[in-house]
Amino acid sequence: MTTTDELDIITRIRGEVMSRNDNTGVNLFLVWGYPTLAVFLLEFASLMLWNANLCMFLWAGIPLVGAPLMAYFLRKDYERTGHRTLDQNTALMMWLFIGGASCFSGFTTGFAGVYEQCYCPLQGILIGIGCFLTGVISRFRPMKVCGIIGSVISFGSFFLQGDLWPWQLLVIAIVTVISLIIPGHLSRKNVKTMNSKL
Amino acid sequence: MSSFRFPVINPILHSDLRLKIMVALDSLESADFVYLCEITDSTRGNLSVQITTLKEAGYIEVSKSGLGRFSHTACRITARGHEALRAYEDGLRRMFEEQVPSQKEEQTSKAV
Repeated sequence: MTTTDELDIITRIRGEVMSRNDNTGVNLFLVWGYPTLAVFLLEFASLMLWNANLCMFLWAGIPLVGAPLMAYFLRKDYERTGHRTLDQNTALMMWLFIGGASCFSGFTTGFAGVYEQCYCPLQGILIGIGCFLTGVISRFRPMKVCGIIGSVISFGSFFLQGDLWPWQLLVIAIVTVISLIIPGHLSRKNVKTMNSKL
Repeated sequence: MSSFRFPVINPILHSDLRLKIMVALDSLESADFVYLCEITDSTRGNLSVQITTLKEAGYIEVSKSGLGRFSHTACRITARGHEALRAYEDGLRRMFEEQVPSQKEEQTSKAV
């Protein structure tokens, strides 16, 4: 084997591995997106229709549904593809950090007595940042754009205060659609297109 | 005269299939046996032998577990493996860069 042959092998195998790295966090977006959307909509409905603040109970539903589903899909993905990429691992760690930050912000805003003013916009901004960073990691531009739009809208919801605060829930439900559900489906479509070309 | 000295070739990585395995694992967190079979385009027996060699050299870690009805072998590159591959690749590039000008000089002298 000559030097050129060996360098050729290195370049070819790297290219082949990269072409198969196509599913970074796709299921994560949908697995967390739909439960989050359902919780925000339920909270909004409970506040507007029955004037019952179920926030503290319903938040628990997101990790209760999302975590086992995520574990299931990660395992299924690994069985199907036979590999786990560094990008996937980075995205997973980042979302775990964002989940932790979200819980932390819930507790701190609750204790500080500014829960109704701050929590929803903070949650939306975290989701937007997560979406943007996943787009950066996976080099997928629509995801970056969705993340930025989601963060900007979430920041805007800071201005819905006082009697208007329940509308923050609806705004963040929309942000969930923009920053989690739409990018999730776009990525899935992208993966299918890429797989059909292989 | 050039002061270039050829780097010492790592005999473990100086093999077609072992190099393919290492390069594939270098870009991944972990990969299973079937995936490595596909990406390196090798037979199971040959792959198994080369994985054992790399494992004994401390370049990769191999973990076996039961996944569903089948046993599952997952491989992951170690820090030592990363280092060895980097050094090997650097050596190859240096050798290549040294070869190209000397080949050009030969071609020029032949043309003259």
